[in-house]
Amino acid sequence: MSLSKRSINGSDFTAMALLGAEYLERNVDRVNALNVFPVPDGDTGTNMNLTIVSGVRELRNKPSAHLGKAAEALSKGLLMGARGNSGVILSQLFRGFARSLANLEEAGTLQIAAAFQNGVDMAYKAVVKPVEGTILTVAKEAAKHAVQYARRTSDVVELMQEIHAKANEALQRTPDLLPVLKQVGVVDSGGQGLVFIYEGFVQHLTHSGTIQEKVFAFPSEAAAPEEVAAPQPAAVNRPSAVVRPTAPTSAQSKLATADIEFLYDMEFFINRKISGKSAAFFNEYAFKKALGKDGDSILVIADDDIIKVHVHSRRPGDVLNLAMAYGELTDFHILNMREQHRDLLEHEAAAEPFAPVPEYALTGDISSTELLAGPAAQVVAPEELHELAPFGIVAVALGEGIANIFLSNEVDIVLSGGQTMNPSTEDFVNAIESLPAEHIYLLPNNSNIILAAEQAAELSGRQVTVIPTKTIPQGLAAILAFKEEESAERNAAWMKSAAEQVVSGQVTQAVRNTSIDGVDIQEGDYMGIKEKTIVSSKPSLLEACQLLMAALVEDGGELLTVLTGEDAKESDIAALCEWIKEAYPDVELEVHDGGQPLYPYLFALE
Amino acid sequence: MGNIRIVTDSASDIPLALREELGIEMVPLKILFGEETYYDAVTINTEQFFEKVAVSPQMPTSSQPSPMEYQEVYERILQEDPGVSIISIHLSGAVSGTYQSAVIGSSMVDGDPDITVLDSKTASYAYGMRVVTAARMAREGASKEAILTEIGRMERETQLYFLVDTLEYLQRGGRIGRASALIGSILNIKPILSLDKEGMVYAVDKMRGTKKAMARIMDLLGDACGQDPVVVTIAWNTNKEAALEFLELIKGRFNVQEVEYATVGAVIGTHVGPGTMAVFMRRV
Repeated sequence: MSLSKRSINGSDFTAMALLGAEYLERNVDRVNALNVFPVPDGDTGTNMNLTIVSGVRELRNKPSAHLGKAAEALSKGLLMGARGNSGVILSQLFRGFARSLANLEEAGTLQIAAAFQNGVDMAYKAVVKPVEGTILTVAKEAAKHAVQYARRTSDVVELMQEIHAKANEALQRTPDLLPVLKQVGVVDSGGQGLVFIYEGFVQHLTHSGTIQEKVFAFPSEAAAPEEVAAPQPAAVNRPSAVVRPTAPTSAQSKLATADIEFLYDMEFFINRKISGKSAAFFNEYAFKKALGKDGDSILVIADDDIIKVHVHSRRPGDVLNLAMAYGELTDFHILNMREQHRDLLEHEAAAEPFAPVPEYALTGDISSTELLAGPAAQVVAPEELHELAPFGIVAVALGEGIANIFLSNEVDIVLSGGQTMNPSTEDFVNAIESLPAEHIYLLPNNSNIILAAEQAAELSGRQVTVIPTKTIPQGLAAILAFKEEESAERNAAWMKSAAEQVVSGQVTQAVRNTSIDGVDIQEGDYMGIKEKTIVSSKPSLLEACQLLMAALVEDGGELLTVLTGEDAKESDIAALCEWIKEAYPDVELEVHDGGQPLYPYLFALE
Repeated sequence: MGNIRIVTDSASDIPLALREELGIEMVPLKILFGEETYYDAVTINTEQFFEKVAVSPQMPTSSQPSPMEYQEVYERILQEDPGVSIISIHLSGAVSGTYQSAVIGSSMVDGDPDITVLDSKTASYAYGMRVVTAARMAREGASKEAILTEIGRMERETQLYFLVDTLEYLQRGGRIGRASALIGSILNIKPILSLDKEGMVYAVDKMRGTKKAMARIMDLLGDACGQDPVVVTIAWNTNKEAALEFLELIKGRFNVQEVEYATVGAVIGTHVGPGTMAVFMRRV
């Protein structure tokens, strides 16, 4: 190799990262295809890609020739965009990497190798139970080699080639470390993603200058339409019947101005469409309930994409923060009703004393007093408000029915997320920030989302407790164990132990032929999965459920909750319930419409 | 004289036969369906009450006896039995004005009668059993002090839990305090209620499904009573069968010396609705 480089600076690193991201993006499908499970959860590539897209976006926003600053920008973007286990680990790798380089304008081989090593240390620390044979092992082996190799060379290009080669070597050995990979005959998907990124790094360094322009044409904007889509309020079909709250009559004038407790009359629209990635599931009942905690005259009209909100509140900032979790806000009107009232009193005083007081509509002529809340409007941060709700709960769910169950049980915000679209760290952070609560609990309800939630808890700077629920049934059990009047520590302990007392089962269709956990699986079979183990695989859905049930009841249980998926047929549900009642007369059966995709049934036995 | 008479109110849920046998005076609370007024356990029983609830467009409410109604009862007893001591035991003052009315009623009686009005700080047969014990002791010639001591001991030894079938009535009554957080849940949630030391109703726990709720109540009773010998009262309003099943579970787990049966009356029914059962367990 004729090219060599004694050091890299921020510009070099930026170009490396952009090309790394591009390599990963090009290979997303390949990474996704490395499913170790024959269930449709092949989202590692997607998650890592979304994570790195967020990283390079930040890098573009804050370009710097200073290596430390560029690395920090990438790290920050990765942290905010982190999704899925591999995405979170990726973000931690570069977080450690960036910290190590923080004060360096540029770096040579020794410093770069040390930075890779620091990234690995950071990632191992972040993961509660590091599993070998994954992206962690790939990163670790590569960094370890880098540290040794850096003593022998001062050429960054050569070092990066070695890192890439070693990473690839470690990747090929992942099946030896993780039996499930060997069973299926694949290498680890997250590790593969990292190798692609490293490959991009190498490609930039070895083709430096020739491909740079192309690199900068990397179309990340296209992948993030929410950034370019312009609001189109005119095209939006607003609810035509805009209901006004009952207009206060002259009786209002008998009130003292100070009696108007909820003094800010607010009206605005939440545009769900513009916001593109509005991860928060909207439930009218829960939203109204949240508004009602500190407001009255609540009116919410939800259309498909537009939600009209009217409320009288003491804390307009809270209301806006809450609403922002659901989409972009438009057309604000905020009035101070005390001011209006004072005006009214003055007006009355000036008028004939016994004349009937004119009915005054709150939302009548507001042009003189209306306050347009543009970017400069003062939206008070939740922390600055005089009183916060004692707690708030954010849960992840897939399926409208399941979301509604959570929302009907004290959950404030439900982030939609399932096997194919995990909420990012940023989604969690946004949800946390929109809740004016002292202590916030996060229920990830999926083992692949726990890390993102934990990272968000750390980043948010608020009091946040992650209850590491791995399944929807665990999440439901945890939420019911919550006691408002108890301390966060005790609640966390209770919720965790409640989650552990549930046996989770799920049924889904296999997407390929394979053999796992000693069960032969044919494509199209229905597989019954108890916790993480496949216990049955049958062409008949009912039969798969029956075998699964037999496995679930092994440890006893009194209450079986069945959450039916969007694909479950009425007749199948009826047949299943009939069978369960007959086979397990001592088990109390509860069936709810969960509406989840991909899984005809989720079972929770407790 | 040393003669002692016992007075209570209808929310003590003492079966009529037992009340008559022991000569317990009962002042009824009122059950109102809109304008219609019924005297609890006098002009309406539990069964009739829930029949009426099912068809009435109005939700029932309950109201405390007036002080005068107590005054009349006290005065009648004093007339029948001059020089008698009266012990009057009542529904928790924290949830009802029944006790308050009794206190006022007793102060309205002329002369200087010996009337001891007690706030049971509990509900239903949890104090009904104290009333019954007091009446039995009085009949056997026990002193007022001995009776009051025994009532105090029973108060300390009694555990009580209500297993409520629906949140609907609790919500309307507005007397559930912290249990209100459950309202609106889509899940089949069974609240377990009890009364605290101050006599306030509180939600002990919330379980999904009756079986889990029963298991939870037994765990709670187990913590308090272990394998000590106990007297158990099982009570229900519309669901005798389920209550008796629950009793069997309890008998299988605890050292039960004696079983009593009671009906959760209309007053409590107004607040908890149909399908409610209750367990009162007392160490002997």
